[in-house]
Amino acid sequence: MILKPSRADVKLIAWAIGRVILGVGLIMLVPLLVSVACSEWNVVLDFLIGIVACVLFWLVTENTCRTEKDLRWFHGLIVASAGWLTAMVFGAIPHYLSGHFKSFLDACFDLMSGYTTTGLYLLQDLDHCSHGLNMWRHLLTYAGGQGIIVIALTFLFAGTAGAFKIYVSEGKEEKLLPNVINTARAIWMISLSYLVVGSAFLWAALVKEGMPLGRGFLHAMWLFMGAWSTGGFAPQSLNLLYYHSLTVELITLVIFVIGSFNFALHYSVWTGDVKEIYRNVETRSFTFTLMLTTLLLSLGFGKIGVFGSLMEFFRKGFYNLVSGHTTTGNSTIYSVSFYRDFGPLAMWAIILAMAIGASACSTGGGFKGLRMGILYRYFRSELRRLASPERAVVAEKIHHIRDIWLEDAMIKGTLFILLCYVLVYFAGGIMGILFGYEPSVAFFDAVSAGSNTGLSAGLTSPLMPTAMKVYYIFAMWAGRLEFMSVIALLSFFGALVRGRRGR
Amino acid sequence: MKSLHLQLLPWLLALALAIAFPLASSPRAWGADGLVTVQELVERAEEYDGQEVVIEGEAVGDVMIRGEEAWITVNDDPYSRRSLEEGGEFAGLSNCGIGVVLPRKEAEKVKVLGSYKHHGDRVRVRGIFHRADPSHGGDTVIEGRFLEVVEPGYPIKHPFSYGKLAVGLSLALVALFLGSRLRKKKEASVF
Repeated sequence: MILKPSRADVKLIAWAIGRVILGVGLIMLVPLLVSVACSEWNVVLDFLIGIVACVLFWLVTENTCRTEKDLRWFHGLIVASAGWLTAMVFGAIPHYLSGHFKSFLDACFDLMSGYTTTGLYLLQDLDHCSHGLNMWRHLLTYAGGQGIIVIALTFLFAGTAGAFKIYVSEGKEEKLLPNVINTARAIWMISLSYLVVGSAFLWAALVKEGMPLGRGFLHAMWLFMGAWSTGGFAPQSLNLLYYHSLTVELITLVIFVIGSFNFALHYSVWTGDVKEIYRNVETRSFTFTLMLTTLLLSLGFGKIGVFGSLMEFFRKGFYNLVSGHTTTGNSTIYSVSFYRDFGPLAMWAIILAMAIGASACSTGGGFKGLRMGILYRYFRSELRRLASPERAVVAEKIHHIRDIWLEDAMIKGTLFILLCYVLVYFAGGIMGILFGYEPSVAFFDAVSAGSNTGLSAGLTSPLMPTAMKVYYIFAMWAGRLEFMSVIALLSFFGALVRGRRGR
Repeated sequence: MKSLHLQLLPWLLALALAIAFPLASSPRAWGADGLVTVQELVERAEEYDGQEVVIEGEAVGDVMIRGEEAWITVNDDPYSRRSLEEGGEFAGLSNCGIGVVLPRKEAEKVKVLGSYKHHGDRVRVRGIFHRADPSHGGDTVIEGRFLEVVEPGYPIKHPFSYGKLAVGLSLALVALFLGSRLRKKKEASVF
């Protein structure tokens, strides 16, 4: 029997979402200050309206839904999934008011893309965008990379035992420290430290390449945020191709590779365990799949005879491949070039890299290296079992911070999530084909959305069908939250409609 | 009458050939002076590779000077005529532009660059299109030789939106009301 959620459940969830939205409003203060500093007064108004709307929502939930109850697992899952959707709607207010979006749906698309660190966008006339709006675009992808729930936990949920439930529901399972609030703060400490160092390197490189100091500083910060969060946004429409700089490409490449690593791995290295880099299942898995896809890419390039020199291979092929593999989406070529210049083999190498994606508990998306590692060990154990005597006990373990023995529940969970990703990729690809797009282009963009990558072969544009925009929003959201919270939200609505009241 | 037709026939043939030959020999839809759009260059990169082309559009972003050469970005999408910030219509795309590498003195002719606050100089660039330029790391670029400013850029006006201000203030008033109610509630719960 399905139990109908009680009024107290709904109030508790709404109260927690109110806090998350207050967090979104607080983040908007940064682009507001940038707009003031740049005398962009209409943009200031856009952010003021956005902030007041967020505060208003929080006040309504505080007035009507405040409760002393603590969150349980079920609430945590709903807060995470519904919180992201609500945050999308409120975050889209300054976007829509900027006048760079044809519809509110387009603005919501960009918001979800930013929060989920995807990087696909429907914003029009980017090269005439204000500094304030660009700050907001990049900041929300930087914040989304850490997790908007992490932000709320850091500042707004002090002391609640239920905090861990919503933390895990956002697709993060690692507890760096015993206390989840401290874990959230540790994630911020790591990200902010890298922000300072990475932006400084990029600033120096951009100034050396001929950008003025002021614009160079802003671009450096935005490029860092886009790369570190594996979001892939950039302030100019040509993305990384705008800079025509090997140095800038090298620095961003290092940033998004580091950004794609597990926060637990970062924390281990920070606390002195450098060997973890070589032993960790995710770095090993990443190295192997990167080598495999690089081989496919080079075979593809060899066949078509373009980008023949090592430098061209690195800047046009390898860079975009790593960008895809880390689910970043920074690009040094035109979107149509994936389809017109790369050839089918190289294009599918990038699709495969995007589908596999980055590390668990990182800013990246996709299947994740951890699951690829588990899957590999599972196949290996099955092969060993077949080759061993009947009574032999075959056991496998992976190393992720500590040694973990593979258990059936873990393997089942991994296979379930993998299947969900494959379904999301496949449904998106088929949908694209049904709308008349070239199959490889349809699958390229569908995998890019579902794995939160952001590279596009030219399908994603403001002119794409509305149904596809809605599906891509769903794919980005579900892929980022790794399905469990989304399934819980759907069950919650189902229970609201069909469930019976508990006694 | 028949002889008149025969006399005209060679002239008519010559005229037809004169019209048809340039169209047949060149697959490109070049306008006067070899003017071509960026979209066409990118989509038919293999055909245009190594050809001299002319593009015309708005210079946006930055002039990045590197030694004796400089990089600019030229957009020739509908927003390069009238940007959304000036009230231009939605074209259903983001910008369409290309990087142009030029001798420094040519690039320095550009005085106003397109941004939120400015509509950039409208420039015409003549140069060689490279699908993957080996001397610039395989970038898709135009190696420009000449740049001409066709129309100077200008500041974009952003009139203050009193409508937005009114909406913001109205929302703020409601927020103040709710805030004071919440405060009273908390004070009441303390006692």
